[in-house]
Amino acid sequence: MAGLTRTAGAFAVTPHKISVCILLQIYAPSAQMSLPFPFSSVSQHNRLGLYLLSLTKCCDDIYEPKLEELINQLRDVGEEMDAWLTDHLTNRFSSLASPDDLLNFFNDMRGILGSPDSGVVQDDQIILDPNSNLGMFFRRCILAFNLLSFEGVCHLFSSIEDYCKEAHSSSAQFDASNNDLESLTHYDQMDMEIYAIDKATEELELQKNVSGSVPFHLHTPEAIFKVIEGLRVSPKESSRTSKKITETTLVASASSSTVVDTLVDESLFLRTNLQIQGFLMEQADAIETHGSSSSFSSSSIESFLEQLPNLAPELHHVHFLRYLNKLHSDDYFAALDNLLRYFDYSAGTEGFDLVPPSADCSMYGRYEIALLCLGMMHFRFGHPNLALEVLTEAVRVSQQLSNDTCLAYTLAAMSNLLSEMGIASTSSVLGSSYSPVTSTASSLSVQQRVYILLKESLRRADSLKLRRLVASNHLAMAKFELMHVQRPLLSFGPKASMRHKTCPVSVCKEIRLGAHLISDFSSESSPMTVDGSLSSAWLKDLQKPWGPPVVSQDSGSRKSSTYFQLCDHSVSIPGSVSQLIGASYLLRATSWEFYGSAPMARMNTLVYATLFGDSSSSSDGELAYLKLIQHLALYKGHKDAFAALKIAEEKFLTVSKSKILLLKLQLLHERALHCGNLKLAQRMCNELGGLASTAMGVDMELKVEASLREARTLLAAKQYSQASNVAHYLFCTCHKFNLQIEKASVLLLLAEIHKKSGNSVLGLPYALASISFCQSFNLDLLRASATLTLAELWLGLGSNHAKRALDLLHGTFPMILGHGGLELRARAYIFEANCYLSDPNFSVSTDSDTVLDSLRQASDELEALEYHELAAEASYLMAMVYDKLGRVEEREEAAALFKKHIIALENPQDVEQNMA
Amino acid sequence: MVSKESCRNEIRAAIRQLSDRCLYSAAKWAGEQLVGIEQDPSNFTPSNTRFQRGSSSIRRRFSTNESISTPQPSVGFSQAATPLPEEDETIDGDLYLLAKSYFDCREYRRASHVLRDQTSKKSVFLHFYALYLAGEKRKEEEMIELEGPLGKSNAINRELVSLERDLSALRRTGAIDSFGLYLYGVVLKEKGNETLAIASLVESVNSYPWNWSAWSELQSLCTSIETLDRLNLNNHWMKDFFLGYAYQELRMHTESLAKYDYLQGIFSFSNYIQAQTAKAQYSLREFDQVEIMFEELLRNDPYRVEDMDLYSNVLYAKEACAALSYLAHKVFLTDKYRPESCCIIGNYYSLKGQHEKAVMYFRRALKLNKKYLSAWTLMGHEYVEMKNTPAAIDAYRRAVDINPSDYRAWYGLGQAYEMMGMPFYALHYFRKSIFFLPNDSRLWIAMAKCYQTEQLYMLEEAIKCYKRAVNCTDTEGIALNQLAKLHQKLGRNEEAAYYFEKDLERMDAEGLEGPNMFEALVFLATHFKNHKKFEEAEVYCTRLLDYSGPEKEKAKSLLRGIRMAQTGFPSMDLEHFPI
Repeated sequence: MAGLTRTAGAFAVTPHKISVCILLQIYAPSAQMSLPFPFSSVSQHNRLGLYLLSLTKCCDDIYEPKLEELINQLRDVGEEMDAWLTDHLTNRFSSLASPDDLLNFFNDMRGILGSPDSGVVQDDQIILDPNSNLGMFFRRCILAFNLLSFEGVCHLFSSIEDYCKEAHSSSAQFDASNNDLESLTHYDQMDMEIYAIDKATEELELQKNVSGSVPFHLHTPEAIFKVIEGLRVSPKESSRTSKKITETTLVASASSSTVVDTLVDESLFLRTNLQIQGFLMEQADAIETHGSSSSFSSSSIESFLEQLPNLAPELHHVHFLRYLNKLHSDDYFAALDNLLRYFDYSAGTEGFDLVPPSADCSMYGRYEIALLCLGMMHFRFGHPNLALEVLTEAVRVSQQLSNDTCLAYTLAAMSNLLSEMGIASTSSVLGSSYSPVTSTASSLSVQQRVYILLKESLRRADSLKLRRLVASNHLAMAKFELMHVQRPLLSFGPKASMRHKTCPVSVCKEIRLGAHLISDFSSESSPMTVDGSLSSAWLKDLQKPWGPPVVSQDSGSRKSSTYFQLCDHSVSIPGSVSQLIGASYLLRATSWEFYGSAPMARMNTLVYATLFGDSSSSSDGELAYLKLIQHLALYKGHKDAFAALKIAEEKFLTVSKSKILLLKLQLLHERALHCGNLKLAQRMCNELGGLASTAMGVDMELKVEASLREARTLLAAKQYSQASNVAHYLFCTCHKFNLQIEKASVLLLLAEIHKKSGNSVLGLPYALASISFCQSFNLDLLRASATLTLAELWLGLGSNHAKRALDLLHGTFPMILGHGGLELRARAYIFEANCYLSDPNFSVSTDSDTVLDSLRQASDELEALEYHELAAEASYLMAMVYDKLGRVEEREEAAALFKKHIIALENPQDVEQNMA
Repeated sequence: MVSKESCRNEIRAAIRQLSDRCLYSAAKWAGEQLVGIEQDPSNFTPSNTRFQRGSSSIRRRFSTNESISTPQPSVGFSQAATPLPEEDETIDGDLYLLAKSYFDCREYRRASHVLRDQTSKKSVFLHFYALYLAGEKRKEEEMIELEGPLGKSNAINRELVSLERDLSALRRTGAIDSFGLYLYGVVLKEKGNETLAIASLVESVNSYPWNWSAWSELQSLCTSIETLDRLNLNNHWMKDFFLGYAYQELRMHTESLAKYDYLQGIFSFSNYIQAQTAKAQYSLREFDQVEIMFEELLRNDPYRVEDMDLYSNVLYAKEACAALSYLAHKVFLTDKYRPESCCIIGNYYSLKGQHEKAVMYFRRALKLNKKYLSAWTLMGHEYVEMKNTPAAIDAYRRAVDINPSDYRAWYGLGQAYEMMGMPFYALHYFRKSIFFLPNDSRLWIAMAKCYQTEQLYMLEEAIKCYKRAVNCTDTEGIALNQLAKLHQKLGRNEEAAYYFEKDLERMDAEGLEGPNMFEALVFLATHFKNHKKFEEAEVYCTRLLDYSGPEKEKAKSLLRGIRMAQTGFPSMDLEHFPI
């Protein structure tokens, strides 16, 4: 009652086990000959022994091979004596004519066990040691048989009959029951015609599958084949490698059962609780990893799961699996229904192996876990307010029942929820809800609340040694610190050398705090997890140090190669763990992005996309795509980016809360600005702004971005005062909501506006402020572009400042050329040329190549970007230089280019058609 | 209207045919209806009249008016007379006789074996039926033998496959009779092929309507009103029985009562109809009437166990300990291993507050019938009393999984979760419960209380629920009072006054007094005074004066204030000194 699982571990005698016993008897007969009769050599004998060893190891698997399959395997193992082995086996079975024979059989069996106290063992004597693996298996069989009641013996007897009959019938290629079935369905179809009921067809099909008389063909576990192959290839070495083989057997058999037909095998339910639990866990992993992809058929699992409760009503874990399945196929009502049913029955005490059993759980149940799951479900289905209410209740209940584990998880879930919901929208929700945890923090901003929740969760998880939670909390913490820069008030300024947590190194540090999870999670394994779900090879790979990617790109590539190996074994990694690792790579990418190292960001994203793409959640996968597309847009031009976007759109547009649309708008806006199509740019800005304010609330970050883009559009339209108004207002908003990184870019924009409007003096302080911001927040790329703007401003003050400007530019050139995007690089080149040209000490005729090289580079890059304005400038400068040099032909060429770009800039309409 | 005489003749023949085929429960049911028809004056015996006279005098108290006012079925409603099928053999074969006696001794497989090569329809049916029962018996045994670690074995009736094959073959050749169709329907139903099962059962009852077992199998397949409406049934008086039963199971109690009223015109003394009517009335919560009906039923049929669990529920609700113990004793002596008897005893212990014992008896009832819905729910109640919430939740959940429209179990689940301090979680269950019974004020009030808990404190939602409760004629008067208080709490005095007045009206009508009354009067008096409606305020104050206690003093001071305001003192003074 109350959903407590019965004691697990019943070891049932099955026909398959009896055949293993028969083979064992052949392997070690009680007659003490040096080499028993059928074997011609010791190696042959050893091979049978190895085979038996792997068979006994496989006995805890859910699926057992049929007699026919066993015979086929024997054929491979036994070589010349296979006929004898098979005959012996079948004869033995056919000699079991009554239950009494079974009884005698087991009595005989007892004889082959060596007595434990027979100390003196002769040299060649073959004795089955009762404490060896085979001996233990043997003893378990005998014990299990002795415990059977007479009815049990009868049932065993009749199942042995079925076992033999199936082998016979299938070998004879004639199956009476099969025939019957055909005629049966024929009749049914007749009936259908009479009744003409439309719905019957499906049901009939279903029923045909369900009815036990369909011969259920089982895929032989690959494991055995592997062993056989191993035996065949290296019979000599087999003793040496035996251990390894059995290990792989376990792993592979565990994985093979997930692929197995989901039809219900009748004998499946004679299995122990533990086996089925393990099987279900595997299925759950499978659902989670494949859930989002369409290739995974959730309906096949569903039909299988629907039958399970009929046959094993006390196995409540099935309901949870059905919930998972429904969750991934986005069926809200069924998911809710199954979740509630699961917790009603199990009281949360079954299947959650992460929770160490405590003394009081049996009395009150663990319904707080139900609340936690329900909250996460609501969140997933996009009901954040409901989710928050439920999670608040979960916090309260787990505090009441002092379930710290659940509390830690709940807090983590809550902080995740809050951080995902955006900033402005949550405040109203939190204000209304009553909660001991959140109410203490009611005066704080949402970010601070998220931070507190995370800290609390981390502390609890740390003390409870919940490694997965610790890891994911560290990850969340790193993410939080990345997104919400804390500005220490005292040591602010460019001189104070200090590190913010946005620095990739510190992000990696934070991530690494959670990384020991991976080498550790095997110790967390519980009786529920399938034995051998962890491959030793995989762990070995991990023993190798994997340093942070800061060291060098070289180390990064080495690391990814180990991960490629790792991927081969990825069947054995729990989905959640690999998701975590994957997410950490994405986070690294983001931190490098902020830092401004495009190659590193790209590399990390690529590592993620190639290695964790399969196991990732769809939102993470989408994020990786987004990052890669953004990278393309910056470094390869818009054409490539749009081509990639098309692919991503197909893949992810169905995902809830898709960010693809957002990216598309951004890209379109960018391109419209470059082409000078300001109307379109304005429209894109407005649409972005519309996306920012949803029905749920306002996404501040998005809103800020929208106004930033609006200001840029206005700037491009040369409406300077309006642009600066917008930017000033934006700066105030950023300050109010503590958005530090955006502040830096707004300042840069302001400097830019003043530069364009010709007020270089006014622009200087903004540029300087932006630089100092960037410096303190480790935004190196942004800093480089701010420095470029600063240099431009200096040049704007007059040609006598050209030298200073050039020095500034050269200082940041490495950064710009190494990490900057196409636009930035082009700007830098053009500016360099400008500087030289305006420098009075510079003579074009002697040093023309320095200028021309930069200009050529710039125009090449701008061509890819379709940035007409800058391209026109570059060609203009080129034409001027050629003119001075007197190279008329090239001058005309450059002038023609200039004309082309100017015309394109003034007639943006035809470009728009392309885009639409 | 069908003539009573023809009914009687039909049933008499049917009973003989049914018992020839060993369909005993259908024969039993038919027999009950046979004596339920009003006595044939031509051949009455003194014992019969005594039996009937005793009951009819009581019945008249309740049903005379109804039976007169019951509209007769509309004109188009013509009862198609189904001819009684002729028996195919007048003299039974020897083997048949042997098989039947084996069957009667419950040696099903033996009976079936004897009839293996017989060709007469009766023998063929008995052959298959015995085989089916043998399979069922073996299945039950195996279920216990094979009970694995996961609770249930995969025991199935091993005869189903061959039965389905043979019966469908018979059906194809047209050699199947209506009894065979019934058995075929049962087999198809067990194999999970419901559409075909329904079709087969419909065909069976259309050709032979007197087999109540077929009707009740059909009913169990009609889980929605749509399925019921889609059935293509011939008109026959048995169809009315069926419809009454089906409506009842679909919670359409008034429609069901109408059917039974009509049937009572023919079967005036049928115990079955009376019990069914009582069931419907019970669902409509007419406990007094139900109690009288059951008393009468027991007087006519003192050793009846069926439906007596319902009677015990009524007695439980009325807290009639003595009557309940009497009933329990009587049933216990009649047949102690019936789920109903165990349930009655459980109810008795529960009423006595001995919850452990009650649980033990409910468990026994469930052991006898795993799908006994009310025992699961009642056991859940017991566990709630024992504060063993996980067990209670488990029990309720099982009830819900057996019948998803059992609003009591949904309600129980909600209650259990609320007890554990998870009101938000509980709301879902209350919602479910209300979905199935939307016009029960108790459920609305429970949900409102859930919203009102300090953890949620969602008062607006609570108000909405209480409003619904008021609309459903809340008999206990909680909703009005709570509505007034909530509005008062939210500072909406106009609404609060409205609801206090309504509550006062209700209490006046029912002649109740109590703290609620004082509260309402004080609030109303103060409210009207503050709004310068002195006359109304005075009325409420004077009413308060009738009672002693602090309220009286309060009323006096209020009155004083009113006088002062009325005698033209500067009103601003009063404004500043609210009393």
